[in-house]
Amino acid sequence: MSAKLGYIFIAPALALVVLFFLAPVLMTGVFSMTNMSTATGITGGSYQITPSVLSQLGDQGFDRKILKRIGSESYSISEKGLLAATKADVKTELVEELRERYLGETFASRRLFERFLKKLDNRPRSIRTLKSTSPHFRKSLIKERFASTKELLQSLEEMDLGLTQVQTDELVDASYTGWIWTGENFRKMFLLPETKQILLNTGFYVASTLLLFNIGFALVLAVTTFYLPKGQAALFRALWFLPRITPSVLYVLLWKWLTWDTGFINAVVTNFGVTPRNWMLDTAANAWVTVIMINGFIGASMGMILFSSAITSIPKQMLYASEVDGANRWQQIRHIILPQLKWPILFITVYQTLSLLTSFEQIFLSTDGGPGSSTEVWALSAYHTALDNYWGNLQYGYGAALALVLVLVGVIMSLIYLRFFRFDELIKTPRIEQ
Amino acid sequence: MLAFKSFSKRFALGIVGVGVSFGLSLTPVMAKDITIQVWAGGSNVNDSYRVDAITMAADILEKEAAILGEDLNITVETKYDFDGWGGFKQAVTLAAEANKAPHIVVTGHEDIAPWSQSGLIRPIENYVDFDTWPLSDLFENLVEIASFEGTIYGVPQDAESRPFFAWIPHLKAIGYSKADIRALPGKILSGNYTLYDVLDDAKKIQDAGLVKPGYGFYPRVSKGGDYWQFYLSFGGEMSDSKSGKLVFDRSAMKNFYTFFAKAVEMGVTRKNHIGTPWDQWYSEVASGKAGLWHGGTWHYSRYTGKEGLKDFFGNIVFGLIPAGDKNGRANTITHPLVYLVTNRGSEDDAQIAAQLVAIASEPRINTLHAIKSAHLGITKSQQNVPLYANNRWASEATKLLLPHASAMPNHTNFSPYFDAMWKGLEASWTGQKSPEKAVADVEAELRANLGNDIIIR
Repeated sequence: MSAKLGYIFIAPALALVVLFFLAPVLMTGVFSMTNMSTATGITGGSYQITPSVLSQLGDQGFDRKILKRIGSESYSISEKGLLAATKADVKTELVEELRERYLGETFASRRLFERFLKKLDNRPRSIRTLKSTSPHFRKSLIKERFASTKELLQSLEEMDLGLTQVQTDELVDASYTGWIWTGENFRKMFLLPETKQILLNTGFYVASTLLLFNIGFALVLAVTTFYLPKGQAALFRALWFLPRITPSVLYVLLWKWLTWDTGFINAVVTNFGVTPRNWMLDTAANAWVTVIMINGFIGASMGMILFSSAITSIPKQMLYASEVDGANRWQQIRHIILPQLKWPILFITVYQTLSLLTSFEQIFLSTDGGPGSSTEVWALSAYHTALDNYWGNLQYGYGAALALVLVLVGVIMSLIYLRFFRFDELIKTPRIEQ
Repeated sequence: MLAFKSFSKRFALGIVGVGVSFGLSLTPVMAKDITIQVWAGGSNVNDSYRVDAITMAADILEKEAAILGEDLNITVETKYDFDGWGGFKQAVTLAAEANKAPHIVVTGHEDIAPWSQSGLIRPIENYVDFDTWPLSDLFENLVEIASFEGTIYGVPQDAESRPFFAWIPHLKAIGYSKADIRALPGKILSGNYTLYDVLDDAKKIQDAGLVKPGYGFYPRVSKGGDYWQFYLSFGGEMSDSKSGKLVFDRSAMKNFYTFFAKAVEMGVTRKNHIGTPWDQWYSEVASGKAGLWHGGTWHYSRYTGKEGLKDFFGNIVFGLIPAGDKNGRANTITHPLVYLVTNRGSEDDAQIAAQLVAIASEPRINTLHAIKSAHLGITKSQQNVPLYANNRWASEATKLLLPHASAMPNHTNFSPYFDAMWKGLEASWTGQKSPEKAVADVEAELRANLGNDIIIR
């Protein structure tokens, strides 16, 4: 009974986990094994024989004579076409004129055919009629779009090309516009030199932000505020909490106002004869300093709170005793406070590494990976590839493959941390309860 | 008699009236109500005519239909305030996956390649006649840019171009006469003034102490399509017109990299020029702090507006980007936006949407957009529309630049090629690699990444 009740209580949470965590991870895995992009669409493709499909087949050694026939666009005035036109309510006079005077004539393109139609006595009198008349006389596969394999095969058959089964299959495969299953993404990731650069960027970003701010600066804040009177300490901590509670967009905008060419820093330093420059984007070093500070100031507050509460839980007697023994502040910090903070520090390391690895919104809003791609980190690169690409073709498949690597790294690192830092010891039942 | 006359007149009128109403009732009045949605990307309030032109076109089409006895009611729903290009493209593609794409989109020509493959857009040539005015009046090269794989998918909506600029007072100071300066654009066009002449003049200007070192030749400060112009200047090709594949021309790429390395070596361009803030760059080129440079047609409004340049034509001469050597040609790149008709709705809906696009491209309507948003026009006869012709910048820039403009290719894999080209340029510019080494590295990356999609020669 109680177990059932438990399941009922956990059901909403479980649904959310499945919907917002498991399903996306699963989808990422699925997408990463495809070549899905804007061009292939997501919901499926159709078949289209384009000049580049033909040239690709030609490169693969496909019979060029056949390709030439498939590739030539032609319009011809045949009985079949006339019949189709009649059926589709094309004006009888026009059909008759075509039949009597032009039967058998062919035209190399739609444009030429339509120019010819416009010169007839019974010419179509509106562009709409003109445009609906010409397709009945088309006799080619190129520029056509076929919704299914069946339609394509039927049209191929009508062309009477004498294709072998192998050739037909090659044509069908090459003309498919949708996505296919492939492991190409991972091969490409391995081969591309930029992968290495992004990997290095990510390592540098995570390590520096973590060491300098999320732990280093957080410790400084926690320890210094500990020695302050309570009221002042609370005030300082509250101040350092501001970056975290300010909306990201606003927070980064403030940084931009600070660093831009016409921003606050320049307004001050120009008085000392320094030429104004963009302190956020001028060089790669500038960009890194800003990116790390922007993220670090947010990250530091979490460590600060955790470390502060851990320090306050250290029995005061220990500190009093050390003062009696003549310890100075530094010795107190080194020998009493820091050893007691081992677990909070480990926890912050683990938690923040994983969150830094995947968070990119502040970088996106500030440098967007620039200048060049010097601050492009892995998560941002996955985002750019899959969802924000300058030249129009969003690569969902490759982006998902990049994201999947991040998921795998996250999972592996969590496992290592759990073992290495012996979390089981941390959460094991207190001896008093045994 | 008089009474009879007036009676018979009334009688006759009555008969005619009955006849007319009878006749009208025989004509099948087809009432058709249709809602057309238009979305424009990358637009702000100055670009409102991208969508408003469709509303105006709807009014005209309705009236034309009424004359032909058709009762056509078109409601146009417009939207152009998207969250940047990225947000717009996501909105369109995701809406399309759910079959809710707008009927007409205004977007960069680069979307034609992926969107035509995915079936999101219909070939507009199937619905409108490019031999009929106003489409017959479009610049041919712009129509070419709106095509993919031999099919015309879109109608150009506006154009811009990226010219080469020089500061007239500095040219005069190094010995150019008024006539020489007037003749400069023509000399560039004919290939008699090359990129290396640019460096020589830049050096002279610098040596004369007119500008600071590194300011003689002052290029664009960030990655951009503009740099492909220099590749074209040395005879490079971005794509093969026959097979539609991308083209990587080793020697053109090497000469293009070498040119910038040489500019740095001569000291006329700064080694750390890339990354100079735009604001600084604009204020410098608009105030004679640089000798020669290149930019975009939209710079005109910035120079004369925010930067306060009073006499543009008295201070700045402009032309095509000069040829690099005898293999190349003077050129400029344009990045037009295009009207595309999507797969939304029936064939009839698409037909109406396409007709609206055609009407919206009429010179007078398009001129409203061109002048309001400081873009160039799309048709030749816009030169005869007073609003356009009386705008000196628009009309001169159109005449000099647009006929020679090409564009970056419509290809689903152009983006990685662009990235690789840029990395190689940065490396040679800053001296991290020799131009030869940079070209070899770019080639290796392209082979790994693009495989058969690119012809390497």
